[in-house]
Formats: sequence, structure tokens, C-alpha cells
Amino acid sequence: MKRVNTIAVFAAAVLLASGCSEGSGDDDGSGFEFWSFTGINQKIDVDAYTKAHPDAKIKLTEVGSTTETAQALTAALAGGKVPDLVLIQGDDLPKFMQAPENFVDLTTLGADKIKGDYLDWVMSQSTTGDKIVGIPTDVGGMAIAYRTDLFKAAGLPTDREQVSKLWPTWDAFTEVGKQYVQATGKPFLDNTPTSIFYQAVNQGTERYYDADHKLSYDKNPQVKAAFDLTLKVFASGISAKQGSFSTGWTAGMSKGDFAVVSAPAWMLNAIRTNAPGTTGKWDIATIPGGSGNWGGSYLAIPKRAKNPKAAWKYIAEMQSPAGQLANFLAKGNLPTTPSVYTDPQLVGREEPFFSNAPIGKIYTQSVVNVKPFYIGPDDATVGSELLNTLTSVEQGKVDPANAWDTALTNVKNALRG
Amino acid sequence: MTTTLSPATSAGTTRGPSRYRHVQQGVRERLAPYGYVAPFFVLFLIFGLFPLLFTFYVALFDWDLIGERHFVGLDNFSELVHDPRFWGALRNTFSIWVLSTVPQLLIALGLAHVLNHVRLRAATLFRMSVLVPYVTSVAATTIVFAQLFDRDYGMLNWFLELLGFPHVDFTASVWGSHVMIALMIAWRWTGYNTLLYLASLQTVSRDLFEAAAMDGANSWQQFRHITIPSLRPIIVFTVVTSTIFGLQTFTEPLLVNPVGGLTCGAARQCQTLTLFLYEQAFGRFHFGYGAAVAVALFVMVVIVAAINYLLVTRIRSERP
Repeated sequence: MKRVNTIAVFAAAVLLASGCSEGSGDDDGSGFEFWSFTGINQKIDVDAYTKAHPDAKIKLTEVGSTTETAQALTAALAGGKVPDLVLIQGDDLPKFMQAPENFVDLTTLGADKIKGDYLDWVMSQSTTGDKIVGIPTDVGGMAIAYRTDLFKAAGLPTDREQVSKLWPTWDAFTEVGKQYVQATGKPFLDNTPTSIFYQAVNQGTERYYDADHKLSYDKNPQVKAAFDLTLKVFASGISAKQGSFSTGWTAGMSKGDFAVVSAPAWMLNAIRTNAPGTTGKWDIATIPGGSGNWGGSYLAIPKRAKNPKAAWKYIAEMQSPAGQLANFLAKGNLPTTPSVYTDPQLVGREEPFFSNAPIGKIYTQSVVNVKPFYIGPDDATVGSELLNTLTSVEQGKVDPANAWDTALTNVKNALRG
Repeated sequence: MTTTLSPATSAGTTRGPSRYRHVQQGVRERLAPYGYVAPFFVLFLIFGLFPLLFTFYVALFDWDLIGERHFVGLDNFSELVHDPRFWGALRNTFSIWVLSTVPQLLIALGLAHVLNHVRLRAATLFRMSVLVPYVTSVAATTIVFAQLFDRDYGMLNWFLELLGFPHVDFTASVWGSHVMIALMIAWRWTGYNTLLYLASLQTVSRDLFEAAAMDGANSWQQFRHITIPSLRPIIVFTVVTSTIFGLQTFTEPLLVNPVGGLTCGAARQCQTLTLFLYEQAFGRFHFGYGAAVAVALFVMVVIVAAINYLLVTRIRSERP
């Protein structure tokens, strides 16, 4: 008995030790594994696809947030089981573009034939040399979401055309904000770092890298201008100083403690879910400066994918101009294919939560004139350090006069290691 | 063992096989315990020791998980020494640790003393209820605390306003955020430590307390001269464990201020070493640098645990 026990224990230990061997894959031709992140509702697309192709077996996994999905993908690429298809958020893409050998060059599957369907500046971010790593699924055009009821109470116009005319520039926007604060005694804008800086810095012709793909955040006058603009807006006293996505931000939005939020296309969903009680009280106006983009995602196929052909078939069908239009009509993601921007279905789509604003029309106008700029691997780091410094200014922890120097020091520290 | 068996063998008739069986059984019995503990050690080897040693190895590289990796020797460590973010995280870690551990253990001691009192009614109810915070999810605790401490809409600031004070932005300031996180940790662990102390106290003979009471010792004197001396071994244990856990505080700073991403606020005001490690390794994919932070943390835990051990054993040896 004793011996049996001892052996069993050893055997169990050995089994456990060797348990990390390769699992066997099941490759049946039409099935594939798809990793996405939460909040973007890829299930609708997958369901639509499997309805049209009943033989396709798609295993969709929502790994987690955009960052968590990128982390899981990194670990998988480094030596684990990779999915056949993966959705990568635009901000995470540059890191993967540093090592394109981890992905299937989509031109080998036919991407070179369809690349002309997409906005060239979006496509350029997932292209390196003559290799295409990802196909863009959506863009994050820019606009301003505002509360019509609060605007009315402050004696401001409420019609979206008229409101858009109030602020052709950020300076005019600030003036409107001052009027609002004077009339109501309440802050106008949720915060300046996200609502001003992250919008304004995305409206330039270059961001943190120059045309030669070298870091130039400290020399680029456009970055400094966006930074100074943010400080100026903050100094005008129109900010509620509620960091985006904080608990105070959510509460303030529901209570109407600020009237305006800068809203890249994906932000509409955040407003809808965080302040469901404010339905019908919002409307959408164009962004000062007219154009800009923040966000968007790409579909890519890892090199070691078991079934790249089936994954590509899915991309080619679901991300075609018609596929992206259907997707927009179903969930509101802004297409990356300009050929559908004039489609009556897109132009005519109205959003009841936002006073029936024609979101397709408003947002596509903001992305057609975007100038492409290079986004590099350190973009996320530089951006978040600049944003954090501006947040510290709002929190009274950094003197606005020293903010730029502090920001440069913070970026420099963050770029080490 | 052998002495009790030897009469039997000398008396028995089947001498040879019996001796052989005994020898075999002896070997087996000597090996068996190793077999029983093997699962732990095998698993520890795979999931504990190997990652530990591998971390030391990774720390010597500029290691991007999917890109290239270069051997850089001790460069990561020299970077670390000059990185203000590292020193900031170190300051935050120690500050939060002291702010949470010291009051936590003191309160636990006092609570255990009270809960051990003979005339306490519904003792089991009270004893069990101190453990409730411990079984609550850390994430839930953190989110609720963050809301309580919110600048504009938090209950705490609502009270401050009632009393005529201006609102305090706890999460934005260094001290505010540290106190807030320390409170969460203390709230969670005080009950756990109380139960450890209580369990140990219950092994102390009641006669001691009764005799002391007969001699006129008040509750404080009993606490000072009976409770604390008899709890010394368990105090050593709790001090060492809460030090190790305290230096690895992660979930609270990760969730308390999600706006700043992995930095616990715009100015990294409450980013602990483990969170800094996580930011570097899994947020930025700088695995070599992250591993260097891990090694530094490891060394620190060992040093602090050693100091702890020396201090507390000295206290133990000084009999009052």
C-alpha cells in the first residue's frame, strides 16, 4: 500500500512536470480562432459571417481590454498558441510593427489588390516596406458632444449647425466656454488633458516622430502648440478637472456638471453606457479645426496561425467597403473605406441618444482631410507622459509655467529602460 | 523502533526473510516522506525557483518579448539607479507599507485582547465578523474606497463640506493617496491578523489572566504583561509576512486611480514597485528592465525580512 502511494505521488509529480507539452490542434479547413477585445462587439460580425457561411467555425475569444489583448498577443507570439486572427487597437499597433516577421504578410493573400479601398493614411500605419500587416477595421473620427439642455439654459444655441459655427477654432471654443461659465457658474468642459490636448495633437501633420521616423516630440512646434493651447484653456477656468473615465467623470456626466466632452467616434459608446439617463439630451457638433482622428483598430494574422486562409477570407469579406458599411449600420463603427462615405445609408443614419445626430456624416467629414503622420513604437509612452503632466497641472501639482519642462523630463525618464 | 523490534526477531523462527523484509521496509519508510513532499517541491521548482532564477537572467538583457534581445550586462541596474521613477516607487512602497502595517498590527493586537475576554457575549459572531473584510474581493474594496474618497462626489468630502472644510483631492496628492491605500490594506488584513493573535491567545492558560485579575491587574496591565509576551512568536510571524506582502502591494494602486493607466496617478504619486515592474514588463514590454526591478525588489524584501527577524528575535530574547 505504502509503495503504491509513493509511486502514485511520484507519477503525479512527473505528469505535472511534463504537462506543458504541445497540445494537438484541430485544423478542419474552415475553422479558425479569433482574438478580440471587449467593448467592440465583434460577435455581431462573427454571427453575420457564420450565418452566410454555415460551415465556418469561428472561435471568438474576447481576451480583455485593448491593452490586455495586446499583452496576451505578445506572450503568444513569443512562444505560445497563437490565434489565426487578432484585432489590434491602433495605439498598440506600432509595437507590433517593430517586428513584422511575427505576422503573415497580407499581400501574399491578396491584400495588395484591396489596399486601395482604404484611407491611405490609415493603411500606411499597418504597412512597412511592401509588407501589409493589418487591415483597418474602423477609424476614430473626431467631434464634440454637448448637452443641448445645458446649452439652452446658458443662453447658447442648441442646433448642431449653429453650435459648430460657434467654434471654428479652439480659441473660439474657449470663448464659448467662458460665456457658459459666466452664465451658469458651472464648468463647461470635462477636462483639458484628454478633451483638448489629445484632440489638438492629433490634428497636426506630424506628431511625436518626424518624417524620418525619428522622435521629435521636443522639437515639433505642433506638439508644443497643442500643449500650450491646453494650458491656456485650463487657465481660462472652463474645466471641470474630471479625468476621463474616472469615477468623478462618470458621476459628473450623469449629473450634468459639465456640458461638453470631446468625442472621438468610440467615445459615443462610453457616454451612452456611463450616463444612460441622459439619453436625448446630447448632440454632436464638429470639432474645432474641422478634422482629426484618434483610435481605430486593425485585423492581423500571426505568422504561426494554423488556418491563415480562412482568416483572410473573413477579413476580405467583412472588411470590404460593403462589409464595413453593414458594420457601421449595426454598431456605429466608422468605416475606413471612403467609397461608402457618401452612401445614403451612412449619411442618413441618425443616433437617437444624441438627438438624432447624423453621426456617419459628421464623423466621416473629420477623417477625409486627415494628414497622415508616422506613429512609432514610443508614441504611446510620449503621449501618456505629456497627458499625465497636463493632468498634474489640472490637479494643482505642477505649475503651468514649468509644465513643458516637467513634461520633457518625464518623457525622457519614461523613454529609458 | 529497532529496539522494540529486536526481541521479536530473536524469538521468531523465520529469521532470514523477516530481516530482509524489515530492511526493505526500512528503506521504503525512509524514502516515503520524500515522496509525499515531492509534489510541492516539483511544482515549486517549476513555478517558483525556475522563474526566480530566470528573472535574474532576463535582467541582464534588453529583452523585448517579440522583438530582438541583446545582452547588456548590468546596464539595466545602472539605469535603475538613475531612474527617478524607481526611487519614487520605492518611496511610495515604503510609505504605504509603514502607514498600513503599523496601525494594522497594533489594532489587531488590541482587538484580539478584547475578543479573548471571558465575559464577551456572542464571542463567535464578533470573532468571525472581523474576517469579513478579508473575504471581500480586493478589487471591490478598492473601487468602493476610491468612490468614498472621490474629490467631488465622495462621501468623505461630503462630510468635510458639511463641516465647512474645502474638498480634498485624495487621489491626486502623495499623502492622500498613500493614506487611502494604506487604509484599504489595513481594513483588509486587520481581521486576519486579529484571528491569528486570538488563536494564539487561546492557548494561553486562563489561569494567568484570572490570577492577574485577582492580584488587581487592570486590563491594560494584563495586556502589557500577559498578552504581548505570550504572543511574541506569532507577532514575529505577522510582522514578517505583512512586510513581505506590504512590499508587494499591487492591486490597490492598480485600481484606485485607473485614469493614469499603470502609474497610479498622473504624477506616479502612489505607484508601488510591483506596479512599476508591471508597467515596465507588461505595459511597455521592457522585460529586461522589469526583471531588474523585480531583482531589486527581491533583494529589498530579503534585507527587510532579515532586519525584521533580527529586531524581533532580540525583543523575544529580552524577557521582561
